[in-house]
Amino acid sequence: MTAVVVAGLTLREVTRRRAVMVLLIGMPLAFYLTRRDLPGQSTRMLTLGIGWAVATLTLFVVNAQRGVDPRLRLAGASVTALVGGRLLAMTAAGVGLAGGYWGLVAVLQDVRRPWAIGPLMLVSALVGVPFGSLVGALLPRELEGALALLTVVAVQMLANPEGLLAEVMPFWSARELGNYAIDATAVSDLWRALLHAGATWTLATGLTVALFARRLRVARYPEP
Amino acid sequence: MSPDDWPARFEAELLRLGQHPARARALADETAQQAVESGTGPDRLFGPAHLYARHLVSELNDVPPGPAGGGPPAPGRVLLRLRDVGKRYRRRVVLSGVDLTVRAGEVAAVVGANGCGKSTLLRICAGLTRPSSGAVERTHRVGLVPQDGGTADWLTAAEHFTLFGAAAGMAPRRARSAGEHLAARLAWRPAAGQPAQELSGGTRQKLNLVLGELGSPDLLLLDEPYQGFDEGTYLDFWRQVAAWRDAGRAVVVVTHLLHDLRDVDQVLDLGSRPGGRVAAVAR
Repeated sequence: MTAVVVAGLTLREVTRRRAVMVLLIGMPLAFYLTRRDLPGQSTRMLTLGIGWAVATLTLFVVNAQRGVDPRLRLAGASVTALVGGRLLAMTAAGVGLAGGYWGLVAVLQDVRRPWAIGPLMLVSALVGVPFGSLVGALLPRELEGALALLTVVAVQMLANPEGLLAEVMPFWSARELGNYAIDATAVSDLWRALLHAGATWTLATGLTVALFARRLRVARYPEP
Repeated sequence: MSPDDWPARFEAELLRLGQHPARARALADETAQQAVESGTGPDRLFGPAHLYARHLVSELNDVPPGPAGGGPPAPGRVLLRLRDVGKRYRRRVVLSGVDLTVRAGEVAAVVGANGCGKSTLLRICAGLTRPSSGAVERTHRVGLVPQDGGTADWLTAAEHFTLFGAAAGMAPRRARSAGEHLAARLAWRPAAGQPAQELSGGTRQKLNLVLGELGSPDLLLLDEPYQGFDEGTYLDFWRQVAAWRDAGRAVVVVTHLLHDLRDVDQVLDLGSRPGGRVAAVAR
């Protein structure tokens, strides 16, 4: 119940920030338009843009509540309700964004497996949510968190796709899924990507909850 | 929860506030009867059950002593007790040797110079900061009003009521109703659709006060909550503190305004420097 209320109100907060909404939608679009003449490149950049935009939004949403969360904990809210509610809201925003861009690519681009573009965008958005919240939990100040996200995404773009560094990056699954969707590589790429995405999501979500449980703990004093 | 449950919730709160069971039942019946006679639901006539129960108990406690005795209520059970509490951050001692006992129906003021640990002490009382030494006992039902912040910029007052109410296990409608009722006591009617960031400093502090009280806590911890209040609101605030006390709540208020101290039952002076000796004065 509390998680649902937190999720609903978080979405309302985000949608009221019109400039944020424009940038959330516009950032992946800018990535896409830069290389729109190359279907593979533009789709891959768009996917990374979705993950980055959703992760950054989640980072700011999580950090914006630093003053409110201790009071909500004191009022009786659990850490899982607070964190879960916000992740739920950001997941809904990410799914909406991914769905919209799936339609755009399906209509405008000639890719080998158009149906796989949907999961590709979805995986990027779904991984971006807990990854952004984990960075927010580790780096409670927005500037530090934003710089850390920028670094991770830059490394993700520049690292050798075959190397270990690329594989340990959070959005490696989107790159693999991109190969499957755009270049029609073997189905094993699809499974590897889904496994990586699932593991990243689980790890990032678990660490986020653990870190917030520590940050938002309330001492249990005995009754006088 | 439906309005039909109102008398039961009202009676349960009266019992929780220490009213005799027969008296609580009689008051609940009487109140339900008044609602029937007025042709409207008790929730619309009296507001949220738990708030009206507190208001009624406060009014009953204000009855002047008659031939059968009475008078102001004696301090009740202990709701907060600090014994030799200290706090240090690495080598820096912020607090040491703090003792404080606050009972139901008492107001305690915490005073001291800037940086002497007043807000840290309040956070320790809340349980948001752990003491480095000493022992704390505290009732579970507690509300905290911070000096600033503590609200979400893009949510309206009604949405804050819903959010904090959900945390306390209240249904959204009941939380909004309780919030609006409490706001009215501070002479504030929240405007629909106005986010918190557009509120003036004083009005935002009113929102903070309402949120601190929303879950009907037994113990209220207030950290200079009157920042930005105009004179009328400031007086309303202290009247509200007196009403809380009369309703059997305990209040700990951090303040630096010495003329506030005439309205409190005890003063905890944390001294002029961090970690300095403390002196508690009963009044």
